[in-house]
Amino acid sequence: MAKRLPTILPDLSFEESLEITKIHSISGILNNESLISKRPFRNPHHTITEAALLGGGRIPKPGEVSLAHLGVLFLDELLEFNRNTLEVLRNPIEDRKINISRVGINISYPCNFMLIGSMNPCPCGYYGSKNRECTCTVQQRNMYRAKLSGPMIDRFDIQVKVPSIDYDDINNNHIETSTNIKARVDKARKLQQKRYEKYSIFSNSELTPKLIEKYCILDKKTKEFLSSYFEKMKLTSRAYFKILKVARTIADLNNEEEIKMEYVLESLQYRGLDKL
Amino acid sequence: MPILSIVKSIVLQGLDGILINVETDISSGMPCWDVVGLPDTNIKESKERVRTAIKNCGIELLSRKYIINLSPASVRKTGASLDLAIAVGILSSMKIIKKEYMNNIVFIGELSLDGSLNKINGILPICIEAKKHGIEEIILPKENAKEAAIVRGLKVIGISNLKEVINYLNGKKNVPEQLINMDELLKSNTKNIVDFSEVKGQRCAKRALEVAAAGGHNCLLIGSPRIWENNDGKKITYHITRLKF
Repeated sequence: MAKRLPTILPDLSFEESLEITKIHSISGILNNESLISKRPFRNPHHTITEAALLGGGRIPKPGEVSLAHLGVLFLDELLEFNRNTLEVLRNPIEDRKINISRVGINISYPCNFMLIGSMNPCPCGYYGSKNRECTCTVQQRNMYRAKLSGPMIDRFDIQVKVPSIDYDDINNNHIETSTNIKARVDKARKLQQKRYEKYSIFSNSELTPKLIEKYCILDKKTKEFLSSYFEKMKLTSRAYFKILKVARTIADLNNEEEIKMEYVLESLQYRGLDKL
Repeated sequence: MPILSIVKSIVLQGLDGILINVETDISSGMPCWDVVGLPDTNIKESKERVRTAIKNCGIELLSRKYIINLSPASVRKTGASLDLAIAVGILSSMKIIKKEYMNNIVFIGELSLDGSLNKINGILPICIEAKKHGIEEIILPKENAKEAAIVRGLKVIGISNLKEVINYLNGKKNVPEQLINMDELLKSNTKNIVDFSEVKGQRCAKRALEVAAAGGHNCLLIGSPRIWENNDGKKITYHITRLKF
């Protein structure tokens, strides 16, 4: 499913294509294509080393994060990755570029990517499933979850549980195509670009707390509801801001300036790790 | 009497290119071949490649003192892409290449022992850098020409061997400029193999990915095993049915 994400992302501009092609050209992985016009999708295996992920070598070559520049970096089985390997991702996610220093040389590669991770809820994989019972102990589950550090979890604005599919769904052929979804995404992105023109940011995910205060205004009822939820679930302020950011995006998808109660409610659905 | 020659090339450092002057001097004295100006091992090795390639083009190299300087000397240079520039420098010192004004031409390419030019990596950033420096023409391996042609305002000449380079520079052979149709290029690449309509059920996760795409949010998918296999299975069968040979 994550593989299909590039099909609903906005089209690349010529400058963006050129930037991606430059990085791929240096790595020598352009196969007879002269210009890459599709967003890259990279899914490295979980045995990958830090150097391969970030870029390395005596004369540093771009790593997976840079090859995923302006596209998607998909880390399948996120918890199977070496913990240190995951932690080195923290900086590049924030800075959107990576500096690599070697003897006598200092190189910076861009790495503005969307990070998508997938993981099982527990070692056996069936915790919270409606079809099968989970055989893990509480301790096992906690140990498993602890492989992902708090700061890393914080970098995922959306955490969603994916249930197994029902029999009815297998034979259902009336499903939306990427083209339809992409049209909505394009619209929402345009709204954001226009709104944040003067702040040199491009999407809701880059909102700072100050901008969140300005652009994510809730009505009284919603505010009260969220504050009671905040108390009950013992959320952190970071989690609170994430909920608002995602709610902002949902409102943009619905072409609304105002963040309604229903958008906040949907946003709360995307906090899957709280309920594990 | 050989003369001093200067030809231009570009080496890469990360995403940035550095314009290099390859200065060649042939003088009498103890026969030797020296490359100076912080060359990496693979540039030092170019000595053997260039010498043999020139020989196999039917040109006799006299036993003289060959000094090749890569300036600026403070930058470490790496990669085999300087082979062609060094060869052209020597041939033009020997007056086998008679073209005198080569200040606006950049030479890029790795040489084989038989004199053919091999493809190199990172040609696009090199061309962008060349244009920045006001270079008008770039001579490079044929296989790289299409990639280079994306950069507008740069005359791209794709050539397959050293002999052709000599004939081209001496005006004996005309090599057409590599051109590319931009609109066609953008169109040909945009077809998608996969589509969201192949993913059955899982509306929740699909919606989450839509929101993620719309706001540029990072997204974590938490699910039981075999969920991913279910979906990707389709793609795998697609590839299997496509296999021909």
